[in-house]
Amino acid sequence: MRTLLSISIATTFAIALLAPLNAQTSPAAKSDAAQSYSPPRTPDGQPDMQGMYTRNGAVGLEAHPPENPIDPSGKNALSVSARAGDELGPYPKIFGEGGRALRGGKGRQQRRLGIIDPEDRNLPWRPEQDAKRRDFLIHMNPPADLRHVELNARCALPGIFQGEDNNNPFQFMQRTGEVVFLYDYNHTSRVIHLDGRPHLGKDIRLFMGDSIGHWEGNTLVVDTTNFNDRTSYSREIPYFSDSLHTIERFTIEDANNVGYEVTIDDPVLFTRPWKVAGYFSKVPKGFESLEFACAEGSQTLIDMFGIPPQR
Amino acid sequence: MTHHPCSVSIICQPPFRAASEAQTIKIRRMIPVAAALLSVFLLAGIPAAGQARDAKAAPATPGRTPDGKPDFNGVWQTMNTAAVDILDHTGQLGQPPGLGVVEGNEIPYTPAAAAKQKENYAHRATDDPTEANCFMPGVPRATYMPFPFEIVQTPKQVAIRYEFAHALRNIPMDGSPHPEGVPDAWMGDSRGHWEGDTLVVDVKNLIDQTWFDHAGNFHSDALHVVERYTLTDPTHALYEATIEDPKVFTKPWKISMPLYRHVEKNARLLEYECVFYLQEERFKDAPFHK
Repeated sequence: MRTLLSISIATTFAIALLAPLNAQTSPAAKSDAAQSYSPPRTPDGQPDMQGMYTRNGAVGLEAHPPENPIDPSGKNALSVSARAGDELGPYPKIFGEGGRALRGGKGRQQRRLGIIDPEDRNLPWRPEQDAKRRDFLIHMNPPADLRHVELNARCALPGIFQGEDNNNPFQFMQRTGEVVFLYDYNHTSRVIHLDGRPHLGKDIRLFMGDSIGHWEGNTLVVDTTNFNDRTSYSREIPYFSDSLHTIERFTIEDANNVGYEVTIDDPVLFTRPWKVAGYFSKVPKGFESLEFACAEGSQTLIDMFGIPPQR
Repeated sequence: MTHHPCSVSIICQPPFRAASEAQTIKIRRMIPVAAALLSVFLLAGIPAAGQARDAKAAPATPGRTPDGKPDFNGVWQTMNTAAVDILDHTGQLGQPPGLGVVEGNEIPYTPAAAAKQKENYAHRATDDPTEANCFMPGVPRATYMPFPFEIVQTPKQVAIRYEFAHALRNIPMDGSPHPEGVPDAWMGDSRGHWEGDTLVVDVKNLIDQTWFDHAGNFHSDALHVVERYTLTDPTHALYEATIEDPKVFTKPWKISMPLYRHVEKNARLLEYECVFYLQEERFKDAPFHK
């Protein structure tokens, strides 16, 4: 224990860089622009999208979402911020806001962001699974047990939806046969194999999944399987099943923007696949990502549950 | 337009019973850095990967990257027991014996530091930051953890991804200096350059919380590590690290060991989420009955 406590003082930090970003970057280029843009090539002939970016708008709110269990707006009676009178609150409003309803960019050109299919953002939940997830959310605040603690609060790898938004910078690197994503968030990284290898066997389960990809023109198409049953989409969709299968399309639109679209197929939770869109925009030159340690300083579980008894 | 750094990140989420502690969990800073890290545009006139190769494609030299450097890209691992003890050590229950990796098999501790190492050793079962607490191993320990790591090499940047605790190092190769005034980091701040065919990585800004091994060999925040990676053939490399820390050692000392390339066709890193597994064990009965 002593070690944990002393280390917590010293540790976790991250460097964020990005305040002026969104203001500076023009969101959007239409798909015809993407087709006419001719990106530079890497030595092995891949369209070159290397650089540091932020992801914008991929995780958007569904229609009729459940109340966010840690929604600081005060609208949710269950939220800690609504509990000013008890030992759990109040919950500072600067903290998490959960998903946002995203209906398009604010820039010069409109771009659909967040859930784009279905059009009305009513996700094709299996009714019993929707009920189960709403019940799960109620037990996240305070967490009924470890299973009901958000993955990010446990400093685990974030899965492919979490960890990129919120101005945490993000890098693409490319080398022969691979595209590598380096996140600022929790020193996460992800490799997309382009060498034609098959997916891993079904008994290997990963937070970040197993990704294989190929280029279609200026679009990197990434097929990911082998997820574990712990990854989440947002606060409102706190888990997927291990049947999750995603197909992501990263389209180089111009020197500064990479369009993003992902098809989310989880036949355990949903009756059909649905789609989400966002985009990556390059950060201004001169910024670097520094270490974002998490577990090394986190007291979250002890604060939630107390110090575990010695065995 | 301003963005609160914590507007969604859960790491910023305060503990439910002590909101103020969130501040210790995360400090975000902005640093100016002289050199840009961004894209490397090499125009090679080759069609997309996976498509037919163009006649203009530059012939690749075996063992070299397209820019002519030794090719370290791939998955590597050591084959030794240095994570148990970097010095010579005999076997113990659950601890394999092994030859040391320290030149001369001696670490030049100051007398006070030698005493501290003995204390660390006595409490290693609970105090080892990496083995007992799953924290990032630091440099050079990450290299010789019994887990693979992957080197991703481009002309202006090298990244090393470690399977253990998904530790990650970003190594600018653009001649930029170590940043001033940033907090110490578990994996330090790395800047790389080439000396002939040797990849040299200068590491500073290392936090004083990591150990070199499970035997409690340690350092302070004055640690300065210079790593040298040299390919000895396409599937082997020599790893050398010079270790300097005037607060703890009377003079610099050196470790070295071979690195072995994973040659399996489907070689790749998986995930060893040490912290997650440790939480599953420690908090499985939570909430605890008082």
